[in-house]
Amino acid sequence: MPEIPAVSRRLLLGGTLATGASLAAGIGSAPSAAAAPTAAESAAAVGSAETPRRRPGQKSMINVPFTPYKTVRVGVIGLGNRGSGMTTGWSVVPGCVVTAVCDIRADRAKRTADQLVAKGKPRPAEFGGSADAYEEMLKRDDIDLVYIATPWEFHYEQGKAALLADKHVVVELPIATELRELWDLVDTSERTRKNLMLSENCNYGRNELAMLKAAHEGLFGDITNGHGGYLHDLRALLFSPTYYTDSWRRLWHTRSTASFYAMHGLAPIAAAMDINRGDRMTTLKATATAPKGLADYRERFVPRSHPSWNETYVNGDLVTCSIETAKGRTIRAEHDVSSPRPYSRINSIAGTRGIFEDYAGTSTTGGRIYVEPDHGGHSWRDFDTYRKEFDHWLWKKIGDDAANNGGHGGMDYVLQWRTVQTMRAGLVPDIDVYDSAAWCSPVPLSVMSLAAKGRPVAIPDFTRGGWVNLRSGLDSRMTEMPPVS
Amino acid sequence: MRSASVPASAPARLITPLRALAAAVAGAVLLVPAQTATAAGPRATTAAAGTEVTVSPVDLDGPAVSTVKVTVKNAGPQRMRALRVAFAGPVGWAVQPSVRAVDGSLAAGATAAATFRIQVPEKRPGFVIRTFRATATYTGGDGEGTATGTRTERSGTPQPNLAAAYNNVAITDESATRAGDYDGEGNSFSAQRLAAVGLTPGASVEALGARLTWPDVPAGTKDNVASGGQAIALGGKGARLVFLGSGVTSAATGSATVHYTDGTSSTGAFGFPNWSFDPVTAHGATLVKSTDGRNRQDGYGNATVKYSVFAHAVPLDQEKTVEFVVLPANANIHLFAMAIAGP
Repeated sequence: MPEIPAVSRRLLLGGTLATGASLAAGIGSAPSAAAAPTAAESAAAVGSAETPRRRPGQKSMINVPFTPYKTVRVGVIGLGNRGSGMTTGWSVVPGCVVTAVCDIRADRAKRTADQLVAKGKPRPAEFGGSADAYEEMLKRDDIDLVYIATPWEFHYEQGKAALLADKHVVVELPIATELRELWDLVDTSERTRKNLMLSENCNYGRNELAMLKAAHEGLFGDITNGHGGYLHDLRALLFSPTYYTDSWRRLWHTRSTASFYAMHGLAPIAAAMDINRGDRMTTLKATATAPKGLADYRERFVPRSHPSWNETYVNGDLVTCSIETAKGRTIRAEHDVSSPRPYSRINSIAGTRGIFEDYAGTSTTGGRIYVEPDHGGHSWRDFDTYRKEFDHWLWKKIGDDAANNGGHGGMDYVLQWRTVQTMRAGLVPDIDVYDSAAWCSPVPLSVMSLAAKGRPVAIPDFTRGGWVNLRSGLDSRMTEMPPVS
Repeated sequence: MRSASVPASAPARLITPLRALAAAVAGAVLLVPAQTATAAGPRATTAAAGTEVTVSPVDLDGPAVSTVKVTVKNAGPQRMRALRVAFAGPVGWAVQPSVRAVDGSLAAGATAAATFRIQVPEKRPGFVIRTFRATATYTGGDGEGTATGTRTERSGTPQPNLAAAYNNVAITDESATRAGDYDGEGNSFSAQRLAAVGLTPGASVEALGARLTWPDVPAGTKDNVASGGQAIALGGKGARLVFLGSGVTSAATGSATVHYTDGTSSTGAFGFPNWSFDPVTAHGATLVKSTDGRNRQDGYGNATVKYSVFAHAVPLDQEKTVEFVVLPANANIHLFAMAIAGP
């Protein structure tokens, strides 16, 4: 499949009939809106979007398939609520075995190992007892994939260490919290030729995938805008003495003003817009409301003896990122975990022919839709019919297994199953290091924009120009899981 | 402007969802409601001595990224310069790039080609028409300055008749109104009031020279089509195609595309007034019947308001046999029946 290099070519044709190959080379890309910087991109923006050069020999990881693995051997770092639950998920995917587990608290490693044995799985090697125990685990040669579910502040160093240990990596949100770290993970992936993937389970949500396929069909016409977010009342959990180890998540609200965790809403919208696959995010502007929610909750529900009473919360309750793309689309990504409200990831996309909204209406799917020419009369319709039509093959194939094995409505298992399948079948991952870096970049960029009173911040092009090429991603072709011998 | 097209009969697989094609056609025909025809035959061209633009077959086995080649032949007497080729698929389908420029020039009789990549979604079930369109702009050549080539493909089978496409409940009994939702707000025609003006299930209706059949289904069941680009099989010859229906909102206009057995097609625009509050001649429609009042979710009401059914028609090529009709891509148009009227 011919692809356009980062810098388009203009070659002479010569005015005569030629073969297809030479003809293809004889015509260059005309300047177009897709390739030209937007006005916002050209405007002075806060920060720098300078693209660092690749080192000699360093190459893109775009469209790089896995070397096939007969069995995927997983090592897990971080065995708190998330990590322990996902460990079980990895262990039940066909052709996948958990060979090592690690947590700074050694008892968690033992507990997780015991749980796997109780489920009839092989006992994994146990690591723990210190902050750098994972380094010993990474020295093992019976690990192909490292899954990281530690507090955010450890993701970068552990993800990089895993790449350097010649492992593929799946990292919980976010893969890193600073721009230089994001770039370093991109570079490290390119140098080690190992994939690093954000563990964005919401990309595998049933509605999200159906929305993606409907967008590709053109159901919504030319996509113009999308909204997503992470709106989750976490106040009780944030003040729980046990849920987040050492209250790590609440403490982020004492030291940073940022959209910490908007990826659950942003990533599915970015996927439906083919970000890094024909479009890219160019600028980000952030706004924040006053930080009132956590203090208010503490005042009403937390005893004075609680250690949180020494804390001052600085992060806004609702942080909103407004993102522009090279094709002139807009994305609104919200983050609010400090306010009383029902859960929502918003998950809405709209274009010249219609709109989809999730978390709205009365449909059993949770979504509602209005598209021309199917609908008229200015009234919403149930998403159910369209979700059936655009249901992703992954949900048709393993939806029942996902319901039985996975958390978060099954999308955890779908992510794990698909990750293992791509590794065992030697396929290109659905989510690569460039997607991961782009989707996580609002964390540091929102800090910069908020510090500059909401001025636009340039979003780096982690693909180094490769975003212009159309390529498949989550809207994949149906393939089988290789048989387990 | 020159144009060339490859019809549905060509072996190549074409692109553009039916709704996209229908909507695109609707816009053009609304401006020029006269009948138009598409040439038949593989790679047929209407430009005997002009610029020829040809779109290659496209692999539609998605989801995938496919490659398309557009060939431009300078069939004019002058050297062609400043050639740019634009390419587009169905609405919403990403194309890379959207425009390519050809450096240098093309001698008379020479050909250039441009390749494009297009994101092809998974195949949809049912009847689908996909359309690709390439437009060349240039100086010199035949002097026209622009030429267009189109490739279309259809897959699947049209619905056997309009009843098979019923997707909306327009008529309810006054004793059971809740199933009705003609206007998106839960309102419907009263079966009793329609019967009072002769519109009973299966009744024959004369309008604009055609004999149409009122939906022969019980009240409270799907009895009409909210028009959304559906393809409906319809045989016969005649001077015009007559539609029976009415609109919701005041924007119940669109274009129907009639496909003939010889592979050609014609299009025509029409519209209906709103079922209650528009002038009865809006959009050029003809009033057929009116009833007093309507059924609401809570029962019969609005007794002093007229709720109406109209007829409208689009012209046919009388020399050709109709094979199927693609309804307008506008769900504000509701159709109860359609039939061919003689010369």
